[in-house]
Amino acid sequence: MKPLVFAARSLRREFRHGELATLAAALVLAVAALAAVGTLAGRVERAILASASELLGGDLGVTARRNDLPATFVDEAKKLGLASNRIAEFSSVVFAGERSQFTEARAVEENFPLRGVLSLRDAAGNIHSARGPARGEVHADRAVLVALERKVGETLQFGGRDLVIAGEIVNAPGGAVFQFAPTVLMNLGDAEDAGLLGTGSRSSRRLLVAGTEAAVDRYAEWARAHLPAGARLSTIEDAQQNLRTAFERGESFLRLAALLAALLAGIAVALAAQRFARRKTEDVALLRCLGASRGEIVGALCLELALLAVPACLVGAAIGVGMQEAAFAFARGLLPGEAPSMSLAPAASAFAIGLAVLFGFALPPLLRLRDVEPMRVFRADVGTRVRRFDALYLLPFLVGGLLILVESGSARLAGTLAAGLAGVAIATLLVTVILLKLLRTAGRGLPGALRFGLANLVRRRGLTLVQVGALALSLTALDLLAVIGPSLLERWRADLPADTPNYFVLNIQPDQRETFEQRLVALGARNISTAPLAAGKLVAINGKAPQASDYREERRAGNWIEGEVRASWSAELPPSNRIVAGEWHGGAAAMPQLSVDQGWFELFGLRLGDTMTLRFGDVEITSTVSSVREVDWDSFRVNFFMILDPAHAAALPHSLIASFHVPPGNAGLASLSRELPNISLIDIQSILDRVRDIIERVSAAATWVLGFSLAAGVLVLIAALAATADERRVEIALLRTLGAHRGQLDAAVLGEFAALGLLAGLVAAAGAAATGLALARSVFRMPDYWPPGWPLLGVALLSAVLVMLAGLAATRRIARTPPMLVLRRGT
Amino acid sequence: MSIASTTVLEARKLSKAVEGPDGRLVILDGVDLAVERGASLAIVGASGSGKTTLLGLLAGLDSPSEGEVHMAGQSLGTLDEEARARLRRRLVGFVFQSFHLLPALSAEENVMLPLELEGRDDARERAAKALADVGLGQRLHHYPRQLSGGEQQRVALARAFVHGPELLFADEPTGNLDQRTGAAVSDLLFALNREHATTLVLVTHDATLAARCARTLRLRDGRVVGEDA
Repeated sequence: MKPLVFAARSLRREFRHGELATLAAALVLAVAALAAVGTLAGRVERAILASASELLGGDLGVTARRNDLPATFVDEAKKLGLASNRIAEFSSVVFAGERSQFTEARAVEENFPLRGVLSLRDAAGNIHSARGPARGEVHADRAVLVALERKVGETLQFGGRDLVIAGEIVNAPGGAVFQFAPTVLMNLGDAEDAGLLGTGSRSSRRLLVAGTEAAVDRYAEWARAHLPAGARLSTIEDAQQNLRTAFERGESFLRLAALLAALLAGIAVALAAQRFARRKTEDVALLRCLGASRGEIVGALCLELALLAVPACLVGAAIGVGMQEAAFAFARGLLPGEAPSMSLAPAASAFAIGLAVLFGFALPPLLRLRDVEPMRVFRADVGTRVRRFDALYLLPFLVGGLLILVESGSARLAGTLAAGLAGVAIATLLVTVILLKLLRTAGRGLPGALRFGLANLVRRRGLTLVQVGALALSLTALDLLAVIGPSLLERWRADLPADTPNYFVLNIQPDQRETFEQRLVALGARNISTAPLAAGKLVAINGKAPQASDYREERRAGNWIEGEVRASWSAELPPSNRIVAGEWHGGAAAMPQLSVDQGWFELFGLRLGDTMTLRFGDVEITSTVSSVREVDWDSFRVNFFMILDPAHAAALPHSLIASFHVPPGNAGLASLSRELPNISLIDIQSILDRVRDIIERVSAAATWVLGFSLAAGVLVLIAALAATADERRVEIALLRTLGAHRGQLDAAVLGEFAALGLLAGLVAAAGAAATGLALARSVFRMPDYWPPGWPLLGVALLSAVLVMLAGLAATRRIARTPPMLVLRRGT
Repeated sequence: MSIASTTVLEARKLSKAVEGPDGRLVILDGVDLAVERGASLAIVGASGSGKTTLLGLLAGLDSPSEGEVHMAGQSLGTLDEEARARLRRRLVGFVFQSFHLLPALSAEENVMLPLELEGRDDARERAAKALADVGLGQRLHHYPRQLSGGEQQRVALARAFVHGPELLFADEPTGNLDQRTGAAVSDLLFALNREHATTLVLVTHDATLAARCARTLRLRDGRVVGEDA
């Protein structure tokens, strides 16, 4: 036999049969959803990294506190063909006549920035891109010019020298979001000559490098091995955390929706393949009889599927790429910089996954056809032995599990979803088995047609289990998409209500608090929260000086050990904080107590009851870790890694940090800044806007993918019902032959399908609620999320009705076929 | 063991039993028979007498519980299912009561099947000729569902003879056909059998059809109860 020829012939004819068309459509959907989301996610990821690179001002930064980096760091960059730029950052006061302003100065080399664009406004008000200031020049933030009453082209005094203001900074890459004062950019040579960087200047040094990805990776590896004490690497992955978090959460939503679409398509594929295999049984028996070997038969069947799958997956990948192109155009406005090129790798991987899904789900029933005995050509009951356990059936679960793991991009999302679906499958099987047992005994008391319908469920026990299982899994996926997904998105939107703080204020002195708060109230500010902030150093954990090398994440731990630690104190647990272990210390702790952020707690391998010694200026305080907090760092509120109890911390040297919301463009803030010149006002409205925009657009994109998934869900339903339609063909013909009228047939079918739909719908609603709860907690970090009960119940009832109607429609079609035709054809 | 050179099919002490809900059920019990090359044998008996089971065992489609079958000098008991499949491919043709044509293939493609299984390159030409021989030269590209019962069985006959098998097994070949069509198909079957000099083993409960065979073996409750020659 020539398997390819045989496969092509069979495919040509059988495509007209429903199951192969269902298989093809399911595959197209699965691959399109995966390709679209994968390609889009990859592109957005690269756009974020590229924009993060612009924010950082280079591809990688090496930062050292208070001392210069060894010259070998610049030499190594040169050796690897990387461009480099040395930067010194320090706080300083600039003067203009009688006026002065506290600034964050950045002394840069003239090739600044390596990445991104430095935009300046010239004297005429035109904005242009520029390089770092030449010798004798500075670029200054508008706040500096306003405070000093100077214009571009005039001079200011810096480190005892007169420097010309060459431009007003519109945008300068590499600055921190939360910096204490407005920025002045100056030439590194000028700063060195003026002695601003000498010993005791408290300047920090940064070396930025940029070049090819490979060279940057090699440099990062080298730098990690040679970092002096107190120095650290800044990667683009660290930058732009707020936007990243929003995108990551959005990506999780999209991936979840796409995954569910793919899984639903997988179930459709599995059911269609089962049906395909059943129909092939007689053919296989004949081929065996005529002398075809098992290998030839399985080979031909697999080839037939491959001939179907390859074009279907190609079409799916093409549709997916097209869809992501449209979605990317939609999201383009959110992403700064050049549009990143599209990689076809995710589409290729979706193509491969499509094939894996098909063969993972379809191979078990097809391979079992090897066991069809040739005697079956004489007697249809031969060779239908049911094995109690067939390891082959683990294959779809394995493929499903791998699909979830690979495509979710997150082990947590994968684990939660897989556990949820597995739970639904097990619960469905258990409940169904119990109900079937009950029906076997109690069903006899039911009225005629209904009894017949329900008896069908008992009689076709195996098929009933498969169908209820498939229905429950697909309805769970639909519930997740139709109810849980939107409610999670709604909850996410509610994360950033209209009065979310859009300004942060640093450096408020304690004696300015009253004035500051009064002024804010007068300006109409809302949601004002003020907290003390003390900068200190981590001295000891359990009485022992910590060493970075003792911790698994040495670099992160080292940053905290070498660097500055900021702590606050409060009697009340701040909003967007949740105690996950221990007890909140309250306002009157007898001994010094400390509440730490969960991430920090894990970073340092702490336990409740451990002590931490912190030094603030000359004061050392040793506190017991009495609680662990889960902090929502994306809440745009002031949050702290460490919160001390106020009874023991109030006397520490500190300033205040505040956050509040004022409508954008409030003119009164400038006068507040003038009245309290030491405070640093940070406008985060633009970041907030962008995050909100991302949420809105991601919700819209998720709705798209949702549409896909719904289409996949409908396919599954069709496949599941078509599988039972075949079984019912002969039975209905027989009933009709025996004189059953349509009403009786309808009642039997309605009873059977209503039971199927209701059972699957209710288990699915419970499963979706539990999975949604777990997803909200573990993946989307929404601890207070609660799944909406009524809509889920509504969907369960609606699905029961839909399953009933779909079953009725399929059966009506069969009922219209003349009974003789059906009986003559057999099953 | 030596087998007479003219004997193409031989069964010795052939038994088949299965485990049923009420214990062991004997379907065939110690059947002995030998069929010479070119001969025709009808196996007759009431429903449930074990005719089809015997046919299946003789054709190597199933394994006996006891006893052995030799086909063209080869003991089937020593071969695994794959080897038996290869032997069938080479030596055996089948005709079934319910035709068993593959619905996805045209008449011509159905007839090509045994030739393709043997890997022959001239499958299409030979299939077309075989179909012409059974009077369906104009129906090459029709699919089974487009053919009447009699036509389907003629396609099945063309398929059974197309690769020149030594043995032809037929299971109630006219059982699904009306009398007239059945008679026509039966004429065709015997004509082809003569033409190809094939050894025919036929299961039927149609006495007329059985009478056209050189020998008739009678089965009752799995045992041979008589033989007419």
